[in-house]
Amino acid sequence: MDEVEQVEYEQVPGTMLTDSNAICDFLKKTKVQDVLNWGRKNSLWFMVNAMGCCGVELLATGMAHYDTDRFGIIPRNSPRHADVMIISGYVTKKYLPALQTVWDQMPSPKWVICFGDCAISGGPFYESYSTHQNIDEIFPVDVFVPGCPPRCEALIQGFVELQKKIIAKKDKGTEY
Amino acid sequence: MDSKSVMNAITSKFPDIHFVFRESDIRITGRVRAAKVVEVCQYLKEEVEFGHLCCEFGVDYPERNEIEVVYVIGSYEHPVILTMKAILPRDNPEIESVVPVYWNANWYERETHELFGVQYLNHPDLRPLVLTEELYGEWPLRKDYEGFPNKTARNLV
Amino acid sequence: MDETVKPSEMIVHLGPQHPMMPGPFRLNAKLKGETVVDSEVDIGWIHKGIEKILENKTYLQGITIVDRICYLAAITNEEAYVGCVEKLAGIEVPERSQYIRVIVEELSRIQSHILGMGEYASFLGFVSMFMYTIRDREDLMSLIDSITGARITHSFLRFGGVKQDLPDNFANDVKYVFGNIRKAVDQYEELYATDRIYKARTVGIGVVDADTAKDLGVSGPPLRATGVAFDIRKDEPYLVYNDLDFKVCTHTDGDVYARIQVRLDEIRESMYIIEQCLDQIPSGPLFPEGTAYGRRTPIMRVPAGEVFHRVEDPRGEMGFYMVSDGSDKPYRVKVRGPVYPTLQTLPGLLKGVPVADIVAIAGSMDTCTSEVDR
Repeated sequence: MDEVEQVEYEQVPGTMLTDSNAICDFLKKTKVQDVLNWGRKNSLWFMVNAMGCCGVELLATGMAHYDTDRFGIIPRNSPRHADVMIISGYVTKKYLPALQTVWDQMPSPKWVICFGDCAISGGPFYESYSTHQNIDEIFPVDVFVPGCPPRCEALIQGFVELQKKIIAKKDKGTEY
Repeated sequence: MDSKSVMNAITSKFPDIHFVFRESDIRITGRVRAAKVVEVCQYLKEEVEFGHLCCEFGVDYPERNEIEVVYVIGSYEHPVILTMKAILPRDNPEIESVVPVYWNANWYERETHELFGVQYLNHPDLRPLVLTEELYGEWPLRKDYEGFPNKTARNLV
Repeated sequence: MDETVKPSEMIVHLGPQHPMMPGPFRLNAKLKGETVVDSEVDIGWIHKGIEKILENKTYLQGITIVDRICYLAAITNEEAYVGCVEKLAGIEVPERSQYIRVIVEELSRIQSHILGMGEYASFLGFVSMFMYTIRDREDLMSLIDSITGARITHSFLRFGGVKQDLPDNFANDVKYVFGNIRKAVDQYEELYATDRIYKARTVGIGVVDADTAKDLGVSGPPLRATGVAFDIRKDEPYLVYNDLDFKVCTHTDGDVYARIQVRLDEIRESMYIIEQCLDQIPSGPLFPEGTAYGRRTPIMRVPAGEVFHRVEDPRGEMGFYMVSDGSDKPYRVKVRGPVYPTLQTLPGLLKGVPVADIVAIAGSMDTCTSEVDR
């Protein structure tokens, strides 16, 4: 590869040279970020990734009776469309690489919700030879929803907590 | 067809099969020599209407130094269920595959192979089924497996 | 499957994360143009070693674990497990408890069929059907919730009885809900029968004939759709199914459409069973009198022995093989799930079908991956 030629910018009066990250860093301190976060928190599309018992409640939450569309929470089948990954069950040693691939495919900003005891602490399968423990060391988890399985209302509550975190700029999905 | 006639039919053909006990009218337990499993299954399927293999699995007995391979065979025509056991040495468990007779034994045998280490001869495709490659060879369902309980969880009480 | 790919062929991986199924499994399909040449099912993505865990838990703790084998209809797993222990220990279940068990199991069967059917319709692009079925299923979930106290994993059965009695006014609730469900099932059937696109995608697709299905070891609705009246509730009656009047629903076509029809008929039949139970249920104790068995059974030792007990799951034949050595923990438990043999048949069924039919055929088997992997 040839070396990239270095271009000397002339100093123009009244202008300032910067790169895109600096603009972002500047904007994060202003009201613009609040507006962005308001938009983000009201369109948390989650990925349907049914991995265990909690997956059945996950399906039920996104459908007619609980109707999370009211809050802008819509189930999506493709990770490319989703903002939130819900770990809804036991992560086995065989499944972990697939889950990481799914996580890498999601565009940022993105958040993780641990749904159910298995994802939080192993649940009834904490001593099994094939499950992977301590999921929160692998993924940046924002909200834990305990229960075995939690009810649908608990998942909605989890989303509300995530919304509160986003508007308070305390979530792990965005860098502040 | 009830359990009595089934037992008579089998013992007349294979006198060396040793019947242990009858749990009730519709359950029979028998013991078969490992070398004869396929022959017996063939006979059961064709002559005594045992066309439905319920399941096949292993049981580990470290004190006796044996692994039992258990076949639970049912039928669509009559309610009798036959439990057939073949006893293998624990150091080198080898048995003939019954896939040519009961097609759905395929996955059961693959699973028994990777959980207990039973070698199935003439199996069409004896690969690991449910475990990752790292766990292959540790035979997790044997009684002396050391990876259980798994202590990696951080917040154990 | 042969991994070598000719120039005109390609391999498509469906899964393990795929909206097609409630639980991950992977289907590797080798395609030539639009046609599936060969395929292979890869399972074990949620293998959690339940059989090993059960060996290390006491009998009472095991009830909680077996709930999680198949979460779409957890109560039949419990029935198979508890039935094994009852056979080994020789416990007689009082008649009232038996009736309550039948009621909960049939409710669970209805909700499982409704969920499976709706999910299946959504695979075919019929998403509004999924909305309807989930709406109607919530009523049933409330009924189950009112008896057991949980929606998915109940831990409701105990050795010799059930955890608690039916709630007050239960018969009236059932009457109200079943009125709605009857209307809904008729509506589903009409929607299915009149939708041209749905019929074009299901009639004559994935046909299995009776002899092949028997050879492959299939059970449950996929087998009954081929015309074989194989139902454990009739062939080997457990609980009080002998005293109840119901018929085994069969169809003869053996295609995808027939499997859904069998499920629709079974929903109606299950509702009929529950209504009979509510008419016939006697009053009496929940646990056998004069024994120590109760809601919180003390640490119990089960006599040494081996037993195989099987029940009719919504998906087919569910069996537990239990070996006891006389201690307070089972020596070995083998779970025989209904979907395990059914899922094995997929590569054979998918040979030569177009890509779009893969989900139609795989979905119509109503797979529950958790129970395959355990």
